[in-house]
Amino acid sequence: MIGLIHNELLKITGRWRSYIGFIGIAILMPLILWGFSYGGGEIHDEYAQELGDNFIVVGSIFNAFLATYIVMNAFWIHMPFLVALAAGDAVAAEGAAGTFRIILTRSTSRLKILFAKLFATWIYTAVLILFLAFMSLGIGTLWLGSGDLIVFDKGILILDQSEAWIRMALSFGLAILVMCVVATLCFMFSTMVNNGIGPIVGAIFLIVIGYIIMAIPIDMFEKMEPYIFVTYFDVWQQAFKDPIPWDRIIKSLSILVLYTAGFIGVSIAVFLQRDIKS
Amino acid sequence: MILETKNLSKSFGPRKAVDNLSLKIPEGSVFGFLGPNGSGKSTTIRMMTDLICPDDGEVLINGLSVQNNHHQALVGVGAFIERADFYKHLSAKTNLEMLARMDGKGFDNIPIVLERVGLFERANDKVKHYSQGMRQRLGIAQALLAKPELLILDEPTNGLDPQGMKEIRDLVRELNSEGITIFISSHLLDEVQKICSHVAIIHLGKFIISGKMEDLLTESELFTTELRVHPIEKAKTILESQDWIHNCEERTGSLFVNVLQEKIPEITTLLTQHECKIKAIIPKTSLEDFYLSKTGKNNG
Repeated sequence: MIGLIHNELLKITGRWRSYIGFIGIAILMPLILWGFSYGGGEIHDEYAQELGDNFIVVGSIFNAFLATYIVMNAFWIHMPFLVALAAGDAVAAEGAAGTFRIILTRSTSRLKILFAKLFATWIYTAVLILFLAFMSLGIGTLWLGSGDLIVFDKGILILDQSEAWIRMALSFGLAILVMCVVATLCFMFSTMVNNGIGPIVGAIFLIVIGYIIMAIPIDMFEKMEPYIFVTYFDVWQQAFKDPIPWDRIIKSLSILVLYTAGFIGVSIAVFLQRDIKS
Repeated sequence: MILETKNLSKSFGPRKAVDNLSLKIPEGSVFGFLGPNGSGKSTTIRMMTDLICPDDGEVLINGLSVQNNHHQALVGVGAFIERADFYKHLSAKTNLEMLARMDGKGFDNIPIVLERVGLFERANDKVKHYSQGMRQRLGIAQALLAKPELLILDEPTNGLDPQGMKEIRDLVRELNSEGITIFISSHLLDEVQKICSHVAIIHLGKFIISGKMEDLLTESELFTTELRVHPIEKAKTILESQDWIHNCEERTGSLFVNVLQEKIPEITTLLTQHECKIKAIIPKTSLEDFYLSKTGKNNG
């Protein structure tokens, strides 16, 4: 299996589309950090005003942690696009290139090949999120410095530096799991077609529909919310609550795991039955 | 039998691509699989290699069902299906390494198969820089990678120049002499006649005939005969007027006629009566004639 995953990673790294996410983050993050550094004074003043007379702010509250927190909130809607770029090609690209004819005629089972592709897609997804963490936290620390993290969420939460690192790690860990759900959804569509664009559009379409249902405050949609997987995509934000709501995190993850299992089940059913005619 | 199809059927929508097809491929043979375009050859081969799932019937390799025991049945099989498509951004060597990893084998055999198909010197070039012929040869190389005892080749000479075709032909002979059974589909009947010991013909998804090449051609009812005769135009007019002559063509100064074997003496009598001088009568039955007679494409 390791050999098969190795093969799949070689294929992913060989496709230019796989680098779009990395290039985007590599260009955007320094720009954003530069913007924070240049115009950070305004944000700093706003934060200081919010803190009002209750706190004496020592040093800069505007540091890598806060920048990363703001970036994550801003980037969150867009990350699925970047993840889908590679996941959409995972199976469909083989059909388009005709390479199924050389890999599926070997003695390796289709199921093993499918899982190798899925694991490689998850690895890619994790690496992409970790790259975002490196660019925001790593480069951010060098550029803006570190310090305490101040989070405004139904009140003020101040996390000291050592706690902020732990919360960031938890948050990025949860973000990886959420993005793996997106990747699996896109992967499922990828098993059905011979074109990498279709799965990307299909997955993003479903996610956007989910966001729309969540955003419109009407009764019917509110009743649907608990059954929509997109509802649980913000689980990473739970890492910045105090105390950490583990029960909510576990519930969200359980539902996301169920959805993922469903996507995998459909992928298996489709791929094992699929006739390779091209 | 190393390879057997039992009552294999497959439909795509209302169209029956393969209809109750049973074939037996003896071990050690070079088995030619013939049929016109759309006759179901590719679908059959894809069912043999588990790319397409049959609606009915099964494929057995060494007695193991491909459909039920994919891993065990295909472990000694090398396949080259239709076109040689690879990961073009990777080198030939890396492509083969990936496939060797899939086979759970080491890389020891890679230089050997590359040498065998004449690509050893270009092993590190990316496949996108390969010509069509080189890709075809790489396709054969990947089929040989797992040291197969059965090689399934679907149109392996597509896109090759005459020299390339001869190389593949020689390679097929060489591999067969090493004990590898070869199942080959081709529309180049001359190629098939040159290398195959056995042949099967299908038409519109249905089995037509199968057997040893030698036996089929000997037992053929419809013979092509070359006549060297003078004056050729007069002889042609006379022969064309006979309803028992199925076809009469003039090529390279000779007449080629399709006629039942027992009618050949009548040609001599007829032409002599009309004062034509017969220089030679040469039986020329080819696989092509036989094939055309069986698939109903003979216009005679």
